[in-house]
Amino acid sequence: MTSSCRQTIPLLEAFGDEELTPEQLLEVEQHIVDCGTCTERVRLNQALHSSVRSAVRSAAPVMPAFEARIAAALRAEAERTEVADIAVEREARHHHMLSWRTVVPVAAAAAVTLVWAASTSTQQAQLRGEKSAYAQAENADELLEELVDHHVNGGGPQVTEPSLLSELEPQVGVPLSLPSLKEYGARWVGGSVVPVSNQHAASLRYMMGGHRVTLYVYNSSRVPIETRLQPRTVRNEPVYVGTRRGVSIAATEHRGVGYAVATDLNDDESAELVAAVY
Amino acid sequence: MSRKSSISAREFEQEAIAQLSALLGVASRLTRNPADAQDLVQDTLLKAMRARDQFEAGTNMRAWLLRILTNTFINRYRRGGLERSVLDGPDADPLADGWISASTMESMREPESQALRPMLEQEIKRILDELPEEFRLAVVLSDVEELSYKEIADIMGCPIGTVMSRLHRGRRLLKSRLYEHARALGIVGPEASVGDTSEKQEPVVDLASYREKRVSRS
Repeated sequence: MTSSCRQTIPLLEAFGDEELTPEQLLEVEQHIVDCGTCTERVRLNQALHSSVRSAVRSAAPVMPAFEARIAAALRAEAERTEVADIAVEREARHHHMLSWRTVVPVAAAAAVTLVWAASTSTQQAQLRGEKSAYAQAENADELLEELVDHHVNGGGPQVTEPSLLSELEPQVGVPLSLPSLKEYGARWVGGSVVPVSNQHAASLRYMMGGHRVTLYVYNSSRVPIETRLQPRTVRNEPVYVGTRRGVSIAATEHRGVGYAVATDLNDDESAELVAAVY
Repeated sequence: MSRKSSISAREFEQEAIAQLSALLGVASRLTRNPADAQDLVQDTLLKAMRARDQFEAGTNMRAWLLRILTNTFINRYRRGGLERSVLDGPDADPLADGWISASTMESMREPESQALRPMLEQEIKRILDELPEEFRLAVVLSDVEELSYKEIADIMGCPIGTVMSRLHRGRRLLKSRLYEHARALGIVGPEASVGDTSEKQEPVVDLASYREKRVSRS
């Protein structure tokens, strides 16, 4: 190894990374023209560089299903943000228009809103996105009221045998299987179909240590669920959680099926439950 | 002065999809698990979507996303920062940079049998996964994503000198283990001794000729 090699070797990596100053670059180029060993060092570095790149890229190809999942997640996030922004704007407008006595209940009602966008008519579909978002926000309170009402006052079950749940599928529009939730000490009581905002959801009622738990299952492509609650991640899945009239609601979506639980548990427990249902 | 972007959600989605391969590649090497890597990329992009107003227009979107990905990984998997390596600190690799001959280097980069290439690639991935996390991330960001030292320093939250040191040590470990593997496969023969044999024959200073010149001048 020549003294010139000793001076050049420490620069060879930065040479390959194109991070040398013009003076250093000149120095290295002048040396490797005359030095076969350093030329080989540069070639080995380049070969290693390209092998690492090829090994890493080939190990993690982007499959179409993953790309679709990411695109759907980003769109859902964008819509969620848009609806939330509009709601904040509306609330701000109400602040200008209403006295403080009316502002308080309005703000409280707006604090937790699950947006259940009812399937829209052709005419509605032609509305601009902004108006559509308003419509979704308008429906949200009404929808949430219905979910909470059903949870609190719901009638008797239509079916109490898990094998008969499939009879409810034509109305709900998604396959129904019974999440056991046994690991949480939950006991299934029965199921029924609930009309909510002109749609149908399956309502599966459980009892869990004296607490009532209602799990709603519905077609999320026909009845997409958005929320302006605090999003959180449970078991690596996005879950949206909030409370209304003392009822905790947690919602999520999986492969086109929407799930929402209404409980008198706390939000953490509701989020955990809804993340466990599929 | 930095200029914050006003990128729309739709534009952001297009940019993000274009960077999926890069993000998934880095995430896969960080997590070493395909399902975790996909979750990490999804979390990263959702965070980036919410914070897209913070992206500085005209800067490298990929580097910005990789910074969020690295931070998300650290927060989720490594609450105390990147894994501390047992090799961190004083240099644990006794091999000098001139340890390997030109012919061996040539054999390593040009294995005679093309059939060995996929095996070598597989080996590189395995060796890479065994590297200490900080070295591995530096090597992937540089060799795969071709980011500058400055961009890597921003992503890893360390000075440029530390990036250079991590890169150097990561690559040297990679090279040294690859050499061992190539020897086991018979791609290269044993070195006669540590050091460059072809260069050993060439004296650093030719004292005889130096003296001759001195004598003729005087």
